[in-house]
Amino acid sequence: MFKKMEERHSLWIRIFHWTNMIAITMLILTGFYIHAPQTFRLFGSMDTARGFHFAMAYVLVVGVLGRVYYAIAAKDAKNIVYSPVEDTKKLPSMLKYYLFLADDHPYYGKYNPGQKGMYTGWLVMAILMIITGFILYKPHLFLGLSGWFGGFLTVRLIHYIITWLFVLTVMLHVYLDVAEGIPILKSMFTGKIPADFHHGYHEDEA
Amino acid sequence: MSSKLSRRDFLKMCAGSAAVISLSSYLAPFMKEAVAAGAPPVIWIQGASCTGCSISLLNTVHPDIKEVLTKVISLTYHPNISAAAGDLAIKEAIYKVAETNPKNFFLVVEGAVPTGAEGRFCMVGETENGEPIVFEKLIKDIGSKAKAIINFGTCSAYGGIPATSPNPTDCKPVSKVVKNVPIINVPGCPPHPDWMVGTIAHVLLYNDLPELDSFGRPKMFFERIIHDNCQRRQYFDNAIFAKTFGEMGCMLELGCKGPYAHCDATTRLWNNGNNWCVGCGGVCIGCTEPQFPAWPMYERMPDMPVGPATSVTADQIGLVLGGATALGIAGHLAGNIITGRIGPKKADEAKEGEA
Repeated sequence: MFKKMEERHSLWIRIFHWTNMIAITMLILTGFYIHAPQTFRLFGSMDTARGFHFAMAYVLVVGVLGRVYYAIAAKDAKNIVYSPVEDTKKLPSMLKYYLFLADDHPYYGKYNPGQKGMYTGWLVMAILMIITGFILYKPHLFLGLSGWFGGFLTVRLIHYIITWLFVLTVMLHVYLDVAEGIPILKSMFTGKIPADFHHGYHEDEA
Repeated sequence: MSSKLSRRDFLKMCAGSAAVISLSSYLAPFMKEAVAAGAPPVIWIQGASCTGCSISLLNTVHPDIKEVLTKVISLTYHPNISAAAGDLAIKEAIYKVAETNPKNFFLVVEGAVPTGAEGRFCMVGETENGEPIVFEKLIKDIGSKAKAIINFGTCSAYGGIPATSPNPTDCKPVSKVVKNVPIINVPGCPPHPDWMVGTIAHVLLYNDLPELDSFGRPKMFFERIIHDNCQRRQYFDNAIFAKTFGEMGCMLELGCKGPYAHCDATTRLWNNGNNWCVGCGGVCIGCTEPQFPAWPMYERMPDMPVGPATSVTADQIGLVLGGATALGIAGHLAGNIITGRIGPKKADEAKEGEA
């Protein structure tokens, strides 16, 4: 049985997706250990965990920069950046669908407004994480910045709360992907999705 | 003689001096020379302070503090140890020195500046007709005439204890009261005598400010982080953490502020090179930082105020949000199955479609 496939994710999108996924997962795991080594006994020593944490921080920096560059260069930004005007208009129909008040939703483009909001939020969160992370990593180099945030304890608080936001939004992301259908999940590995996959109805069909 | 001690050597001395060398005794002869050659006078005034910084300076035993104050530093006025008092102190030792040496004297300030109730929480003298002179007015009057202001202690540098909430006297750091005058901050609660003598020595010998970091602290003393040079660092790297005081292990979980605190107490040591905060089993409370002491001394993570008399930790926020997310996902999953978007019904539909 041969299904007609169409391209959904380019190779670069997949590469950045998975390097960022590995970096963020490792950063969260090592981060929890660094935060409370007695509670989260995941690593042998602080040295190992911190080594991984800092290495993965650099991977994330490269991943975020690369993804942003790709989004601009390949004109992919319009797919993933939330537009306050256009996407807010589309929100009600999407919420109706997710709250089971409607059986289907219109076609939104590659991603629905909720996804766009989440991906744009991740960019903001990642940038904040990188800034606060480097302040805590090299406190003497970023003294002035720490003052701008209101001191090292505030910086750390921001770092921790965004960590939690990452944990939760990643959970949501994985759940919603699987719930919408396995082909969506597969497409992040193969880049292809069945051509007849239902992405929502078109206005003219309705 | 002062020319023999180059600034480069001076900085090397200050930054590198270990506990075995007394910085003050080494610098004393050079400073004596500088003063004899006409270095600018120094006036020391106190606002909302506990005099702890002065006491710390009095702990300089090499050279004898008498030497430091009378011969080494051209100190014209100090509220606790000057003989001058009353009109003699206010008129002659403070105002006259400031007026006869405009932009050519150094003002040392110890303690924050109370600005509430027109500054009447801190009166330092009175005028000829009996009007009180408040500290805020004094520091505005003579601070603006100084070549530079040297803040000794966290209170004058960043507000410190008097400026911490609820702050009924509305205390402010000197930098918020006097503008347009170069300010050197030598924070600490109290500052180490070497930091004070070293900073004064630098301005007297070179008639110039030492290199400062973004919080106005001389880099020669405040560039390093406690955590990086801590004698218990090995415990941190191996994740051995003390649960109570007196245990071996890194004291991060007990609220040590070492990872953010900038100073060289780890190598300089206190009380003439005897010991330091962590060495005697205490945590670093980060007394040289602008946020001191508004943070919990013996807790690792600060609570966040979310309402009147209510506060939460970052982990509690995470757990509540996590619970909400889990509920949301579970609810949506149930909805998905009931409405047949996923699960057996969808599989049936798919079969029908194929058939």
